[in-house]
Amino acid sequence: MKYETVIGLEVHVELATDSKIFCSCSAGSYGTEPNMHVCPACCGMPGMLPVVNKRVIDFGMKAGMMLNCHINRTTTFDKKNYYYPDLPSAFQTTQWFAPIAVKGLVEIKTSTGKKGIRIKQIHMEEDAGKLVHDIREDTTHIDFNRTSVPLIEIVSEPDLSSAEEVEAYLDRLKTLLRYARVAECEMAHGTMRCDVNLSVRPEGSNVLGVRSEMKNMNSIEAIKRAIDYETFRHIDAIENGTEELVQETRRWDDIKGMSFAMRTKETAGDYRYFPDPNVMPVVIDDKWYDGIKSSLPEFPEVRFERYTTELGLSEYDARRLTESIALCECFEAACKVTGNPKDCVNWITSEVMSILGVRGITYDQLKLDGNALGELIKLVSDSKVSRVNGRKILDAMFDDGTVSPAEYAASEGLIISTDTDLIDKVVAEVVAADPKSVADYKGGKEKALMALFGKCMRQLKGNCDPQVLRKALIAKINE
Amino acid sequence: MTLGYLISLEQINQLSLTDRQREEIIAFFAARDAELERLYRFDTADTERMVHVMPIMTVVREDKAVQLFTREALQAAAPETDEGYWCVPRVLE
Ligand SMILES: [Zn+2]
Repeated sequence: MKYETVIGLEVHVELATDSKIFCSCSAGSYGTEPNMHVCPACCGMPGMLPVVNKRVIDFGMKAGMMLNCHINRTTTFDKKNYYYPDLPSAFQTTQWFAPIAVKGLVEIKTSTGKKGIRIKQIHMEEDAGKLVHDIREDTTHIDFNRTSVPLIEIVSEPDLSSAEEVEAYLDRLKTLLRYARVAECEMAHGTMRCDVNLSVRPEGSNVLGVRSEMKNMNSIEAIKRAIDYETFRHIDAIENGTEELVQETRRWDDIKGMSFAMRTKETAGDYRYFPDPNVMPVVIDDKWYDGIKSSLPEFPEVRFERYTTELGLSEYDARRLTESIALCECFEAACKVTGNPKDCVNWITSEVMSILGVRGITYDQLKLDGNALGELIKLVSDSKVSRVNGRKILDAMFDDGTVSPAEYAASEGLIISTDTDLIDKVVAEVVAADPKSVADYKGGKEKALMALFGKCMRQLKGNCDPQVLRKALIAKINE
Repeated sequence: MTLGYLISLEQINQLSLTDRQREEIIAFFAARDAELERLYRFDTADTERMVHVMPIMTVVREDKAVQLFTREALQAAAPETDEGYWCVPRVLE
């Protein structure tokens, strides 16, 4: 018999806010010392009351709109109860009865074509703390920096049917959420984590099989291996009776390449969800809703289309730019200044990307002012600054975001000289000081001219039009 | 609420009620049941579901990170800490 795999995903994404969801502690805990970003509220001390961070609601709405969801204009928080040391208050504040967004749709592309994946809901919630088990043998160490860091959980319908589709779906979520600037979505940093629900059934059947869930998967490759393994395990159990399938939570061991039973799956009733009496409903009025709606970015494929048709970029260049909204915005601002898209894309894909690479900055983290980049590109294309010095100025702009290219070029003496007297003077000096190279050149050695040319350029600090210099040099030698 | 159920609740909660107190409690629950019966008679099929029982909404704050407490102050009352961590009896991963 032929089987099909039925997969639903629960994807947790850490929102890129400055502060936590219910208190003012910093939400950026990556790489800091334990328990530096904590307060009585996020440590679950008695009597502390939550105050909702507006930007969490903004981002929840944005995420919902990017994934074509309906936004619940009145959204509420609920308590989910469980007892574990990473959760100091013994309940997680999450959304159960009226989540921020419901009924969405995400389109994915795979080798077999396009497919729509339905989104059941997106809810906002707080993260739990981190437990460290390997410092001492007798105790567990707790770090609460991550408690109450805002998350959204994106719950899909069981519409996925292969590892390839899961990868495409996760990629698509990442792209859309990064474009809306609501999250980093970097599995390696833990800012995107994934629970995989999987079952198999005879092909064409519409009854769901027994489902297993693998929690906290944090790499695409591991997810793909886990899906292949679980699919095989389920089919083997059904076909050969190797085991009785039960609904359960399993742990994926990526080193052994196997999954292991952890516990039989809890049901919603076990968590005793109830409306959080300490957080009143969030009511999103028209002004708030419309403000978020109008702040949504153009989708990457719309931009790609516009770049290749209206602006005449190559598909290759357009694809590189649309990898990141930060690149797109920088590019578009620079284009407005120069009116020359091709020039701008060249600068971004060569000089800007090279500096980002050297400095270890991701495309999304680019903070370069596109207007200033445009001014710089114009200075170079108008032959006011040499390309080499242009790169120097760009470096300075990365060091200090307030640098104005024209002012910097003037103050550092990087403006190309149109002073022919100065050029003639430098050429005369260089030619007089190096009779050997002059003789070599006259004897037919082209290279000797380059040596003289280089010496002149150095003396002029690169601030000379190469064509003008070359002419002046040859004229002087042939005098 | 029946007498048998009330007595079992008394035992769980280590209470010992007089017969008069028991009668009062049973009468109290009987009255609540009658009220609920009346409420159930309303036809609510076309009534829109409310998200919250009261027409109130939360206030929100701006997203600004402020650190008002030090780790030392928060851990002052902790039974055990180590290298900045809170410590608890070992739990399985
Ligand atoms: Zn806090």
